[in-house]
Amino acid sequence: MNKEGKYKVILIEPSEIIATGIAAIINGNPKFCVAQTLNEPSYYNSNDTDVDIVIINPTVVDYNDRLDIRSWLGVGNTALVALTHSNYEESVLRQYDECIGIYDNAARIVQKLKNAIDENNKNPKNDLNELSSREKDILAAVAMGKTNKEIADEFNISIYTVISHRRNISQKLGINSIPGLTVYAIMNKLVDISDFS
Amino acid sequence: MNQTTSIYNRRMKMADLVASDMSLLSILHRLDIALGFGEATVAEVCAQHNISADLFLMICNIYSFRDYSPQIETLTDDDIRSITTYLRASHRFYSTICFPTLHNNIHKMVKELDDVSRRLIDKFYDDYDNEVTSHFQYEEEVVFPYIEDLLSKGQNGNSEYRISLFEHNHGNVNEKLNDLSNIIIKYLNKDYASQLRFEILGEIHYISNDLMKHSNIENKLLVPLVEKIEKRYE
Repeated sequence: MNKEGKYKVILIEPSEIIATGIAAIINGNPKFCVAQTLNEPSYYNSNDTDVDIVIINPTVVDYNDRLDIRSWLGVGNTALVALTHSNYEESVLRQYDECIGIYDNAARIVQKLKNAIDENNKNPKNDLNELSSREKDILAAVAMGKTNKEIADEFNISIYTVISHRRNISQKLGINSIPGLTVYAIMNKLVDISDFS
Repeated sequence: MNQTTSIYNRRMKMADLVASDMSLLSILHRLDIALGFGEATVAEVCAQHNISADLFLMICNIYSFRDYSPQIETLTDDDIRSITTYLRASHRFYSTICFPTLHNNIHKMVKELDDVSRRLIDKFYDDYDNEVTSHFQYEEEVVFPYIEDLLSKGQNGNSEYRISLFEHNHGNVNEKLNDLSNIIIKYLNKDYASQLRFEILGEIHYISNDLMKHSNIENKLLVPLVEKIEKRYE
């Protein structure tokens, strides 16, 4: 929440027309304010902890990352809302607290933002401290000594995404060096010690 | 923190200085300044031990205040020699006292662990130990002799070496210690060696803090001073 007691919203949407429109609708409501509009997710700062809702267009994220959007963005327990121009698989949308369509009217959009806050409070999606299954896979690959490039190729994601996963993993574990991550991965049986000669 | 706001000065009692920040004791130890200085001032004790009080106070300030940046203009060539002597003594202190004690305790701790964890942590620590040792070795065999040559022969000699090539890799060294401490705090089974683990964490905390000051002395004092001398002969 910001100083005036409004819910703070970050909007990630590449289309300026749509971003401006949605922001105008949200700012028109006394309970919400759009603190920032970003046209791509790499500008999103996950350390900004007083953000209440992140609204993101799922197309701005590579296909493989959409399935683990929370840890990819590093949103932790912030409410997450999809802004969709078209249809998505259920497995993609399931990770969001709500889903706004571009044909929703103003009242419906505001209602959905309220739902998202409620939904998120009731049911925090992803414990900030636990590694997601995607992160565990990536960590295992790091422990095996694979480079970022090799990991990107293996998981079919961009190097930027690998780096972002690695940053989140180190933040959660408090372990930064590769040997340290390897110790963690073996002790937690993410990789087998017999894989190392 | 700059010099004007520093609480340390040459006229204060050495005993008061140490009492204000006990971590300064390790500086005295490395400079071979024995305790028992009674009411002697900082200036008097430094004079007895042939070390410049200005330099001594700068080192103390670096230890006590993270954002302190020293005014190196007043320092002399002899002060540079004192800094390398200090750094060598500091290496000796780590490698003959701190690391063997830590190693010993870690070795005792892992004895109680399962086979896999024991091998992992032993190897992690040994790799870390080798890395630090070779870093110290590099400084003593390459960096310090280069500086001594520069000061005594008054030239860079035939050597292509420049102080700018000096790697500041103490940061990485602390990264591993920090990882080790988190592994011990968070991820070792809570049934193992709990008393010893507290001791080890205290030791790691002390060493990583001290290593950081050590590398600040290199980065804030030694490197800029040597760069100044290099310019003199260019």
